[in-house]
Amino acid sequence: MAATASTAPQAATAGAFRTTRRRRAARLLAVTCSLAVAVSALFVLTMMVGSFQLSAEEVIASVLYLRDDPSVDFVVRGLRLPTAASALAVGLALGAAGTIFQQLLRNPLASPDFVGINTGAGLAAVTGIVLLQAGGLAVSALALGGAVVAALLMYVLAWRDGVAGYRFILIGIGVALFFDGLIGYMLTKAQLSDARQAMHWLTGSVGQAEAGELRLLLGALILLLPTAVLLQRQLRALELGDDTARALGTRTELSRGGLLATAVVLTALAVAVAGPIIFVALIAGPIANRLLGPATGGIIPAALVGATLLLTADLVAVHLLPTPLPTGVVTGAVGAPYLLWLLATTNRQGAGG
Amino acid sequence: MTRLRAEGLTLGYDDEAIVTNLDVDVLDGKITAIVGANACGKSTLLRGLARLLKPRHGVVSLDGKALTEMSTHEVAKTLGLLPQTPLAPDGITVADLVARGRYPHQGWFRRWTERDDDAVARALDATGTADLVNRPLRQLSGGQRQRVWVAMAIAQDTDLLLLDEPTTYLDINHQVELLRLLRKLNTESGKTIVAVLHDLNLACRFSDHVIAMAEGAIVAEGAPTDVITAELVEKVFGLACVVVPDPVAGTPMVVPT
Repeated sequence: MAATASTAPQAATAGAFRTTRRRRAARLLAVTCSLAVAVSALFVLTMMVGSFQLSAEEVIASVLYLRDDPSVDFVVRGLRLPTAASALAVGLALGAAGTIFQQLLRNPLASPDFVGINTGAGLAAVTGIVLLQAGGLAVSALALGGAVVAALLMYVLAWRDGVAGYRFILIGIGVALFFDGLIGYMLTKAQLSDARQAMHWLTGSVGQAEAGELRLLLGALILLLPTAVLLQRQLRALELGDDTARALGTRTELSRGGLLATAVVLTALAVAVAGPIIFVALIAGPIANRLLGPATGGIIPAALVGATLLLTADLVAVHLLPTPLPTGVVTGAVGAPYLLWLLATTNRQGAGG
Repeated sequence: MTRLRAEGLTLGYDDEAIVTNLDVDVLDGKITAIVGANACGKSTLLRGLARLLKPRHGVVSLDGKALTEMSTHEVAKTLGLLPQTPLAPDGITVADLVARGRYPHQGWFRRWTERDDDAVARALDATGTADLVNRPLRQLSGGQRQRVWVAMAIAQDTDLLLLDEPTTYLDINHQVELLRLLRKLNTESGKTIVAVLHDLNLACRFSDHVIAMAEGAIVAEGAPTDVITAELVEKVFGLACVVVPDPVAGTPMVVPT
């Protein structure tokens, strides 16, 4: 026990702590701003490239309705803006939802792609395509419903005097496998053309966005991202375990319910817009933590990382590869090695759960 | 005068009652140790006092008001708790963790202030963890880690502090160090402390008041010198022993026969 309670050492400690805290705050601001700049740049760049090359100025002027030029407006507003906006919105939603899940369930593997929410959406969508010959908006609506039902199902199954992280993940993985089996069954029953459409949807692509859902997702983001930021404080307390969180004065079930609902709605809408694009939700949070310092867990930086990833993946999928591919193929190719690395290292530390 | 008290308290999980019909007055400004054999309900009692468990029957009151009728946020400004196995996010630094103890003093829109800085600094100084602030918790030794958790609880700046087996998993040196820290907090800032402790001898040495429990009931309570006798230890722990005065402090010391 070093210190006695004289004033001098305490002032020094307070000063040192303040410096640490300010440095962290400055880093958070710098990283968030840089990410926002990167996202904006990628957003514009996505709309510049293609068979009809445009300058950044032309794109910005057209998007903001600053100038009228029918041919440019047709390409930008008509063809490229929906895809770019969908990549941006889906990326933001998946990044935010992923990090909320991971922090809430205290496990880096607990992203919506793994706990059955995506597969719930997939099962509903594939069932619609195969049995009802559904397309477009109907598939998206089914996906949205499937994701919400899967989340509720897991919540009910995992409930026992509250929801513990571990049980939720195990049940989530079980539910995901069960749904995967049913998806496989559906595909074997399908006509070849339906199966092809279903497989394409299951890979996930930002290009398949319908205007209706996209608007819904953008509206949800405007509402839910600020909600998530307000609930960040509760999330930081919940990360310390329920007992500590309660002792600190958190209303644990209410806060957890609010956070889970936010994350589930964001995921469900993202899947409805673009199909189950995998790995973005899994890696956005950990990348944000790498940039910000461990366990900082900022929801906005994670959302911005998600958008950066998805905009980049879309650029690569559509323009850099010899044949255009669905976005999900690119995110999968990047995400799978990360997942292996994660499994290898967390198990070595014994923290993987 | 007791700020925290339980009357007719029954607590349990699922269908099973663990402690039944207890009356407890926590003495203000004192250190109270709750002792007893494994599964006697001592942690359950502590969790009940800290409103982590809702009473089946009876009431726990703080300053005359039932805990169940107070907002949990208000309670957290007066009553702190360090759970038995607190969890920390991977890679969290000491500064970040201790700062999270300020949670009850912040609101939806209330920002971090100088007062929060000072409270964190006091907690770091009191626990001797000031030079660890930039270290990740995971890299610290068990004793250091436990002091950091205590620092977080101190940063919460409550008049009452409950600790659930704070010395478990620590070696004898760190156990004594931690209990000395609690004693210092008690004498310097008048904090009321309640701790569930396993080691009877240390409990006698560092507490003002002992509550001995067996099978969900309080068997005896009072000053260690009055309460800890060979008969009581036999009754509570089923251990045949003699009780002699501790050669250093004169408090009761249990020696098995």
